[in-house]
Amino acid sequence: MIHSHPPTLSSMPLSRRQALGLSAASLLAPLGLHAEQIKKQQRACILVWLAGAPSQMETWDPKPGTGNGGPTKAIKTALPGVSIAEHWPQMAKALGNVAIIRSMVGKEAAHARGTYHLHTGRRLGGPEKHPNFGSVVAAELGDTNSELPNFVSVGQTLSSGFLGVNVAPFIVNRAGQLPANVSTAVASPRVSRRLALLKAQDADLSKAGAASLVEEHRVLYERARRLMTSPKLKSFKLDGEPAARQQAYGKNPFGQGLLVARRLVEAGVPFVEVRRGGWDMHNSLFTRIKPAAAQVDRGVASLLGDLKRRGLLERTLVIVAGEFGRTPKVNSKSPAPGRDHWARSFGLMLAGAGIRGGHVVGKTSANGQEVVDRAVSVEDLFQTICSAMKIDADKELFTPGGRPLKIVDGGKPISEILG
Amino acid sequence: MRRLLILMLCALLAIVASTADAQTKKSGKRRATARKSAKKAGKKKSTTKKPKLPPLKTSADKQKFLAIIRDSMPVRRAGSNIRYTPLDLDRSLEYRVGRDRSYAPLIDDERFVRRVHLDLVGRPPSGTEVRKFVADTTSSKRPRLIDQLLTTEAYARKWARYWKDVIFFESTANRNRTNPKALEDWLTGQFKKGASWDAIVAELVSAMPVRDKKKKKEKNDWSQKTGQNNFVLAYENKPPLLAAQTARLFMGISIQCAECHDHPFDKWKREQFHELAAFFSRGKYYMPNLDNPAKKTEMKPKFLLGEQPPVKLTTHQRRVAIAAYLVYNQDNYWFARSFVNRIWNELVGDGFYAVDSLGPDQECLHPSVVNRIAAVFRYRKFDPRWVFRLLLNSRAYQRDIQSIDNDEDLFTAVRPIRLNSAQVKSSVLRLTGANRNIGRSVEREFRFDPSIPQRDLEGTVQQALFLMNNPTLQNKLNQSKLKKRLVNVKQPRRLLTQLYLAVLSRQPTDNEYARGQKHLRAVPDRAEAVEDLIWVLVNSTEFLTKR
Repeated sequence: MIHSHPPTLSSMPLSRRQALGLSAASLLAPLGLHAEQIKKQQRACILVWLAGAPSQMETWDPKPGTGNGGPTKAIKTALPGVSIAEHWPQMAKALGNVAIIRSMVGKEAAHARGTYHLHTGRRLGGPEKHPNFGSVVAAELGDTNSELPNFVSVGQTLSSGFLGVNVAPFIVNRAGQLPANVSTAVASPRVSRRLALLKAQDADLSKAGAASLVEEHRVLYERARRLMTSPKLKSFKLDGEPAARQQAYGKNPFGQGLLVARRLVEAGVPFVEVRRGGWDMHNSLFTRIKPAAAQVDRGVASLLGDLKRRGLLERTLVIVAGEFGRTPKVNSKSPAPGRDHWARSFGLMLAGAGIRGGHVVGKTSANGQEVVDRAVSVEDLFQTICSAMKIDADKELFTPGGRPLKIVDGGKPISEILG
Repeated sequence: MRRLLILMLCALLAIVASTADAQTKKSGKRRATARKSAKKAGKKKSTTKKPKLPPLKTSADKQKFLAIIRDSMPVRRAGSNIRYTPLDLDRSLEYRVGRDRSYAPLIDDERFVRRVHLDLVGRPPSGTEVRKFVADTTSSKRPRLIDQLLTTEAYARKWARYWKDVIFFESTANRNRTNPKALEDWLTGQFKKGASWDAIVAELVSAMPVRDKKKKKEKNDWSQKTGQNNFVLAYENKPPLLAAQTARLFMGISIQCAECHDHPFDKWKREQFHELAAFFSRGKYYMPNLDNPAKKTEMKPKFLLGEQPPVKLTTHQRRVAIAAYLVYNQDNYWFARSFVNRIWNELVGDGFYAVDSLGPDQECLHPSVVNRIAAVFRYRKFDPRWVFRLLLNSRAYQRDIQSIDNDEDLFTAVRPIRLNSAQVKSSVLRLTGANRNIGRSVEREFRFDPSIPQRDLEGTVQQALFLMNNPTLQNKLNQSKLKKRLVNVKQPRRLLTQLYLAVLSRQPTDNEYARGQKHLRAVPDRAEAVEDLIWVLVNSTEFLTKR
């Protein structure tokens, strides 16, 4: 029989809310100018998520002329001696600002699991629901009093897991449109009239014993109202962006999503994810890659150029990644061949926020089946990202059960690309 | 078959009742008889010393076997005529909390009828239901309403949904391999027919879903359509996950930290975690060595209090054994208590301890009270309705709300409780009429983990934005039957009474009459004025709160 000793509820190690560092006090903290100034120098991140897993050999690590290379040709880039796949002419020119990793070694080759691994730095299946990295950034760098949400995702993404609702992704389904429910059909004086009545209604309940719930409700409504009337709300829209620039990013939902991402980062949002699906090319890869790559090539190159011109690239990390890579061997699927899931060697791209441009990390064998130099694990990648974002990767976050978990578990930053 | 069962019974009795001393002569006698007859049966067949267990491969065999163990649990018979009333509960609780403390007054009929509807059937009462209940002058109307609601399908559905959410909230299993709806439907059936909590949990924990090999390719069939398989499927049939979740959900204790190291705040050892996990393993179970992945230690199944199967068991038998150790084990007081604590937590907003993070070193508040309820719950054959009747009829439940900041104030009042997504959904849809778009949005925006304590829950800006501005919701409210009806009510007082009854299930206060009348006078357009008033109540804190 195990014996028991009675401490009280409040003597428990941490309440869940304390564990998350999201007390009512932090919600109510006055909005200081100081915070705004700090934010200006602060890091931001744009994650360009290529859902479905792009083929490394048709992106950053082509193997023309080899048995596995397929019909894909390589093109020269701004970096002497470095070639990438022919589908990326704009990125080839921008490579001076970009670090390419050719030696990612993953562990997951199924979509849900890979998405989880590359969004959280953890593998799916443990007892915890780990937070999307965007939520970690929102919690670590976000301003609880900001008018805009601290994590915006254009398209669906993974949840904030155990970090809770306050840092959950704010999802925008279509780039260039206002988020759901921020505009009202009711004229402004009438809104004020209603809010005044609401205040009186809630004051009665507050007196009747629900003071803390009423106070929280008031804060939420204030924040909702601030968002509704915020001048920054226009960052979700593209009004005022010259037609030429919209054209440069690409007149498609993905390109416009990147442009919105830039506008949001400019307005102070620390993490924005933009999703572009359609990369799960088991068949007909060599024809399907063309339009997909053309969109992303153009969009990302324009984004990098635009960020650089505005002086934002120094503090904004851009990541272009998918959940894993694709088989070096071309399959024989109909109607035309493609490549299947492969996590043992794949590539991705990082730029900005002090990442050293013009750097290629790692090498794969001639047939692309093995990493032969500088293997980079997913944990290494997250260490690198934390380092660039100035987030302490060793910091412990607390799960609702009070279990401390480091932001990144293991791995080492790729020091050669960190400024 | 009967003979075989008795033989098996003998073996598992040795497992489960090994620590049970004969508390009463009666039960002692019966066990002796059981042993005798088992001996007789054994003489003919077995020459080996160890009893042979049946394979227990099918769910029906498992349940039959567990039922035998259940009927032989001595403590259940011993206490079958012990009485414990709501009054007993209140007396002992108030004694523990302190008789000199100030307690919140009991709530009036209007408040009671809303509270009990939200708790038992997951929706607020209609204006008519409120009026009828208030007008009823018989003295036993509160217990009668409780009894009546407990017989409804809505009661079964509400609590089935609660447990489905509890089980699935931490699940990261592939959606195609689980079926939460099937689990909810199965649980609804169980609660409706009055199944006992022990039988429900034993069936969930002992399940061993088998893939249909013929169907698996084309239909992705993991036997998830069978509702009771979904606890195991939600945790991917993986031993460490099932061990952690079985302890968390059905014992209220947190041991998952012990998967990798001895628990930092508690006494749990790493070995204990893996011994528990070993019950859920298909073959031999190994505890990984964290320093050297090549080395690992084989762990034999052993329950948390040291109980160990005397014989080697097959995969299926191990599942039955863990179910028996969990449920029919008089030393495992956590099992009954965690159910009581969860229901208490749902009803009054705080548990005697956090519902899923207790450890042996983190005892609860007022243990004598909750332990007593848990013990009687076991005597009452783990009947969930008995727990509901006890709690709902108590003063502890029927007290007014108060914001509670200190542990000392717990249970002197009821905490104002945030409604869950299903309750918000029913509150909204009864105003707008059925609407899939609105229903889904509410389910998405107002979802929270039911295992998180009320005091740690938070609302979101999206919830506020949805109730303030969602175009579909605003449209439906502006065209609702309620609005059309109210616009035609000339007399402001009657209008306001109907409005408050429809939205908040109560009559307005004098203050609210005064404010409402002022607004109706100030806004010349009656339709516009009514729209404003509906909007205000739908956006009020009270609309989202059980008070």
